[in-house]
Amino acid sequence: MEDLKELKKIEQFADQCMKCGFCSFFCPVYQEERVETSVARGKNYLVKLALKGEQKFTDELGKIIGKCLLCKRCVVNCPAKTQIDRVVVGARAQMVKNKGLGFVKNFAFRKVMANRKAFGNYVRLAKAFQWLLPKTEGKIRHLPDFLKALGQGRNIPEIAKTFLRDMVKPVYKPQDGKAPVMRVGFFMGCATDFVYPELGLKMIDFMTKRGIEVVVPQEQSCCGAAIYFSGDFETGRMLAEKNIEAFKDVDMIVTGCATCSSTLKDYEKYLPDNEDQQKRYEEFKKKIKDSTEFIIDVMKVKPEELKLKKEFEGKTATWHDPCHLVRYQNIQAQPRAILKGLKGLKYVEMPNTDLCCGMGGSFSVYHYDLTKKIAAKKMAGINATGADIVVTACPGCMINLIDNILQNKMPQKVYHFLELVE
Amino acid sequence: MLKESIKNELERIVGKENVLTTPEALKAYSYDGTTSWIREPDVVVFPTTTQQVSEIMKLANKEKIPVTPRGGGTNVSGGSVPWLGGIVLCTTKMNKILKIDKENLTATVEPGVVLQDLNIALAKDGLFFPPDPQSFLGATIGGIIAENAGGPACVKYGVTKQYVLGLEVVLPTGEIVNLGGRTLKNVVGYDLLHIFISSEGTLGVITKAELKLNPLPPARKTTMAVYADVAKAGESVFRVLENGVIPDKIELLDNWVINRIEEMMPMGLPKDADAVLLFECDGIPEAVEKETEKIVDIVKKYGAIDVRIAKDMDEANKYWLARRAGFAAVFGKAKTVFAEDVTVPRRKIPDLINKCKELAKKYNIEIVVLGHAGDGNLHPAILTDINNEEHYSRSVKAMDEIIEEAVALGGVLSGEHGIGLEKQKFLKRQLDPVVIDLMKKIKALFDPNNIMNPGKIWE
Ligand SMILES: Cc1cc2nc3c(=O)[nH]c(=O)nc-3n(C[C@H](O)[C@H](O)[C@H](O)COP(=O)(O)OP(=O)(O)OC[C@H]3O[C@@H](n4cnc5c(N)ncnc54)[C@H](O)[C@@H]3O)c2cc1C
Ligand code: SF4
Ligand code: SF4
Repeated sequence: MEDLKELKKIEQFADQCMKCGFCSFFCPVYQEERVETSVARGKNYLVKLALKGEQKFTDELGKIIGKCLLCKRCVVNCPAKTQIDRVVVGARAQMVKNKGLGFVKNFAFRKVMANRKAFGNYVRLAKAFQWLLPKTEGKIRHLPDFLKALGQGRNIPEIAKTFLRDMVKPVYKPQDGKAPVMRVGFFMGCATDFVYPELGLKMIDFMTKRGIEVVVPQEQSCCGAAIYFSGDFETGRMLAEKNIEAFKDVDMIVTGCATCSSTLKDYEKYLPDNEDQQKRYEEFKKKIKDSTEFIIDVMKVKPEELKLKKEFEGKTATWHDPCHLVRYQNIQAQPRAILKGLKGLKYVEMPNTDLCCGMGGSFSVYHYDLTKKIAAKKMAGINATGADIVVTACPGCMINLIDNILQNKMPQKVYHFLELVE
Repeated sequence: MLKESIKNELERIVGKENVLTTPEALKAYSYDGTTSWIREPDVVVFPTTTQQVSEIMKLANKEKIPVTPRGGGTNVSGGSVPWLGGIVLCTTKMNKILKIDKENLTATVEPGVVLQDLNIALAKDGLFFPPDPQSFLGATIGGIIAENAGGPACVKYGVTKQYVLGLEVVLPTGEIVNLGGRTLKNVVGYDLLHIFISSEGTLGVITKAELKLNPLPPARKTTMAVYADVAKAGESVFRVLENGVIPDKIELLDNWVINRIEEMMPMGLPKDADAVLLFECDGIPEAVEKETEKIVDIVKKYGAIDVRIAKDMDEANKYWLARRAGFAAVFGKAKTVFAEDVTVPRRKIPDLINKCKELAKKYNIEIVVLGHAGDGNLHPAILTDINNEEHYSRSVKAMDEIIEEAVALGGVLSGEHGIGLEKQKFLKRQLDPVVIDLMKKIKALFDPNNIMNPGKIWE
């Protein structure tokens, strides 16, 4: 019998499913493919068979559990509350354990991403080649897999000239020179670091303007989303430890990336291998705040007192709910309060605001065609609103939304909500 | 095992991407919504046109390969499980709504259209398809017709068979026939259309349906009546109806179910109540108000200890969400569940409930009741564990007696889930041998080689 340690951890979740099939209605992947192996019910059933030793860890099983956005639409709509995300991630972890990392293909970049510096260099390399990408894909052979996939006719985000971590100071004092009202750690996240550094500076500025002292530990690492959601728990734990250590001196950690905030909070859910880790991750979770909840619930900023930047005056905005915000953290009121409160901005709700944009982290690298199809539905929703700008709080979603808006030759611009305020 | 040549032939018919044969895929098509009926097919095919279905059937008929139609795979009787292997013919890629005809209140759809998708499209034109199996998020029109499904709203609107005007069907021999038509009235020869409704995929593959629709009612109101005695709740059902109010839904949740739902999603249901009834009235606003008032009076007179009228749609939706969660509540709590589907004339509901209580005591097992009380379709559920032999055998006996009692009360052993595999052994209790024989002869007439979903309905 193969080792089933990781699967055993999620057995109780897999047992919840009563095979009603309701998830088929909500699963973006099933909605495109319409086959049972795409939907939560089918994945869960195969994992249950694996638990009984009746399904081997085949390549095919790897493909099936790989084809999940981890968007959790099935989870929140499941009458039995089956936590498919945990089942899928647990199964991926078991696969990695039993078959090694090469097995689930998208680990080619794992070592790279885990090492901040090396990752930065790879990204830089990609930048040097980016004008070449669509035409001469062959030239980027030596780049990590996932960067290679960015060349599939996709619009690649422009990599920043200077990365955020090369710009930031270790400590920022409140701008008014007074004693700080609170002291928080700032977690950058990869996308903000490499693609949207100005967003990070903006967040820091937003806080220090309002009397907060911000520390930015250089030792902080990637949150680990792409790594542990792929099943590489070992590296995931290593990153968790790095981040816990880097932020040990602060009581609160803020990030402007929805995926990061949820990933940091959820170490506790997916990763622990023993009780000590469980406890430490749970403690760490208590420190984490997404920027949206931090601004509204902790800083208690009154949205109507925020000042809209001039360039957005008279514009109509709509909100895209990132999976990692709306379903992983149940945050939906706070960003809406901000957008609705901004004087001079008109807010309209998107009909399918909580539909996954199709990115799903490394999902979009290996299933880019599916990503595009899923995004097409999102695009229809955006168009239905008549909005000029699409606002969200996840740089990952932003990258994918921009790509698809450009592909569909749509006029809308995409912003992080922080970019809207003075 | 599937012959390579057959696989190639199927791939030629529907395209390579629409034929699945990996062991993983076959496992994923081995089940339906039940816990106990599992059997793998040899191949799964996804036709996209009627012509393709016809070619598949011709091939299967020639080679004598069993074919089991499958829609959403949400049935709870083993109906879509390929009991003799062979081909699973899955309609999920035939999911186009071909026409919505507002003037005639009809829609033409492919069989793989999911009910909720249909109703979302219809709502834009102010229409809806009234039969409402609670699996509407996964159930397809083909499966709904093949099971003659019905949900809570059948109290007022009836079941699927009242809403199918015409069908295009591919027979097991591959011929394509049109039955019924597009009109409300139709008396042209035998009514073969209705033979296909509740045929459980044993006579042919439904490839297109002409459906009758209703305009969406402009108003709805939900009322919850609370009872200290579940049998009293049962009585209220027919008292309301006999006193001249026909709500569109009357649903029942017993104490056990209420408490499981409250554990899963606390929403303030009365945890001490022995049972609650949920009523919904729909129609023009004035009528809905009046009917709701009347329901309140009647249930109070016949034993409700508390009545709550949902103040808005949010509260109403909450109650109905709870009702839908009931099923999950039951299945989540036991390894094996017998989800009974017996249906009795409404006047007999209290008798059946009392019988269930008595049997629960007699066999010392958990029997919970939740269901479409408004139509006498009660869904008593027995919680057991197939691995616990002793408990399981007590449960089987209790189930036997429930069915016995339902039939004795003038009811039927399945109201909506169908016979499939699950209820086969009880068929003889309900139907005269002559009738079963007639059914077999009809099946043989349509399907001379017995390839169409074989092994179902009778033993
Ligand atoms: C949680 C839950 C709640 C439910 N609630 C209700 C309810 O309230 N009322 C109710 O009536 N049922 C209910 N059901 C049962 C089930 O949803 C229905 O039987 C439904 O009609 C099945 O539709 P399907 O598309 O899933 O069909 P499947 O399960 O795929 O198939 C059902 C049967 O139809 C046949 N079939 C499917 N498509 C075709 C076709 N195109 N041509 C010919 N035969 C075909 C199959 O061979 C099989 O015998 C419930 C099930 C669940 C899991
Ligand atoms: S995961 Fe949930 S929604 Fe999907 S089949 Fe299982 S119980 Fe039903
Ligand atoms: S998490 Fe999303 S993609 Fe994965 S099975 Fe659930 S609904 Fe489908």
